Amino acid sequence: MPDIIFQSTKHFWPEITLALTFIAAMIFEFATKKRTTGTGILVLLGLAAALVQLPSAPSEPVSIFGGMYAIDPFSTFFKYVIIVTGMVVVLFSFQSQELKKESGHTGEYYCFIAAVTFGMVLMTGSSNLVMIYLSIELVSITSYILAGFSKSLRRSSEAALKYVIFGALSSGIMLYGMSLIFGLTGTLDLSGIRTALASGHAVTTGWSFAALMAAIVLMLAGFGYKVSVVPFHFWTPDVYEGAPITITAFLAVASKAAVFAVMIRFFYVAFFDNMLASTGVYSSFRNVDWSMILAVLSVLTMTLGNFVAIWQDNLKRMLAYSSIAHAGYMLMGVVVMSNFGLSAIMLYFVMYFFMNLGAFYVVMVIADKIGSENIDDYRGFGKRAPIISVGLSIFLISLTGLPPTAGFVGKLFLFSSVMASQFIWLAIVGVLNSVVSLYYYARVLKNMYLREAPDGDESPIVFSKVTSAVVILFIIPNILLCFFYQPVLTFAQRSIAILLPGL
Amino acid sequence: MSYTDAFFYFFAALTVGSALVVTFSRSVIYAAFALLFTFLGVAGLYVLLQADFLAVAQIMVYVGGILILLLFGVMLTTRVTNAEITTGTVQGLPATVVVGILLGTLILLVSRATWNVQESLPDVTGTTTEIGERLLTTFLLPFEIAGILLLVAIMGAAMIARSTDKTKEAA
Repeated sequence: MPDIIFQSTKHFWPEITLALTFIAAMIFEFATKKRTTGTGILVLLGLAAALVQLPSAPSEPVSIFGGMYAIDPFSTFFKYVIIVTGMVVVLFSFQSQELKKESGHTGEYYCFIAAVTFGMVLMTGSSNLVMIYLSIELVSITSYILAGFSKSLRRSSEAALKYVIFGALSSGIMLYGMSLIFGLTGTLDLSGIRTALASGHAVTTGWSFAALMAAIVLMLAGFGYKVSVVPFHFWTPDVYEGAPITITAFLAVASKAAVFAVMIRFFYVAFFDNMLASTGVYSSFRNVDWSMILAVLSVLTMTLGNFVAIWQDNLKRMLAYSSIAHAGYMLMGVVVMSNFGLSAIMLYFVMYFFMNLGAFYVVMVIADKIGSENIDDYRGFGKRAPIISVGLSIFLISLTGLPPTAGFVGKLFLFSSVMASQFIWLAIVGVLNSVVSLYYYARVLKNMYLREAPDGDESPIVFSKVTSAVVILFIIPNILLCFFYQPVLTFAQRSIAILLPGL
Repeated sequence: MSYTDAFFYFFAALTVGSALVVTFSRSVIYAAFALLFTFLGVAGLYVLLQADFLAVAQIMVYVGGILILLLFGVMLTTRVTNAEITTGTVQGLPATVVVGILLGTLILLVSRATWNVQESLPDVTGTTTEIGERLLTTFLLPFEIAGILLLVAIMGAAMIARSTDKTKEAA
């Protein structure tokens, strides 16, 4: 056994680096009370150190720590998304006025960012129910703390409290689901569950099978809560609105990526039967029709997210509903059970990273300037702050999925993968939903460009050079990725290999 | 019915019964006291399963630590804020229907399904050594992650509980 542990550590260095970053940042914070930006820089360096180790991950899937954890191209892809998001969020936080108001404790904020990134990275590779639960819990608890970080703001505390209560409930439900799965199959290991199902175990028929399906639904409640899938989404708008906006951005991108990774691993590894090599389409065990459950959830999620977003006046809240809708779109890629669908999700996450972080950044800098996230206060912005307005417009068009933006390519591949798997009705629902989303994104554009500022004020709002530069830096990939998506797509296609037992 | 069965039903009834009191009691103090019996009942079930270490840990950590803190917390805050802490119910009917359906389904499934059971308990004299060994070999990774998880939770609790500069000025 010690040999296995030493062998495993060899592949585990990015994760170890992240854990060390968290501990080092904590010690640094205690040692130097005042220089809070220093902790941020330390965390940034630590994340960068973890990032540069990712390319040396083995190209073939490896199982480490006795099946607890998997290192495969699939998880490595998501680790890139998560760690880069973490770094961007740290950089955003340096600029955020909201955090500066919280006198002096921002050092701890960066420690928690390191911890939550570590948790998310663990989620991508967890291949045992114990590890899945622990890593989700690590991410959840850190997120609760971060959501309530602005202690002087009432809405931030409210967000944290709602997050904790919903979170505790859903993690309890998920644990119960796990216990049922353990009771039925006698193992916590994902590949062990698969073996139990494959061996014509009693669990594949009759009441036991019904109990297994119930357990899957309970597990889905846990996963669904974390990616805010309807009907487990109730916390999302309040938490996204109340949390510091840097954290909202982090939750909307990295947290979703991590849960999608662990959810896909759970379904593909545990309930996977075989793959037709020629088509790349998977099939699950006879009758284990989880893809239909997911299809229904996906339709509910995108429809509710988009329709409720129409009525929102707070841009942060609107982006929260829009992120619910996006979770619905991405869920379609899981439904189709094909390599095409997987690579489409991964491609979409890259696009989503650029468009969503861009949009949240603009909302953050505008809120810091005018002290409001209300869409009505954006009137006349087109003239007063041209670069920022153009940026926000492009990010919102990208979120809608119109050409010539990155979002278009993302949606194109996602919908094509759904079509390729004969889920025509699902693709149609997706497209109709995108049309609905155009309405509320366009409302922001209308306010910025077609409406005058209420008091006729046309004096330019000056943003710092750094702000404009960051916005432009986010505009470039949003446009470029529409035409030059091929490298990202190739990378995603190469990264679909999930660790599967006995193949 | 053997003695073991009798004990099992006793502890199970204790656990479920007191858990119902926890849920339905309107006063948080009563709920906290009922929780004591829930924890004890679970510890009893652990003993019946020959999980001696787990049973002792359950009593020491939950009954001895968490529950006492909880009671102190409830009593002290009642004194300070002078407010009766009670729980309320909203949306009673829809909640009853949904929970009833869920409960019915689960009871049906749990009673009919074929469970992966071990006919007899493995012959062990004490589980502590075994648990310690497993925690540092097979379950090394979850063990370490749990450590980090607790560290984060402690830091977070300290951060939330710490008085801000503003409240200091007010006091």
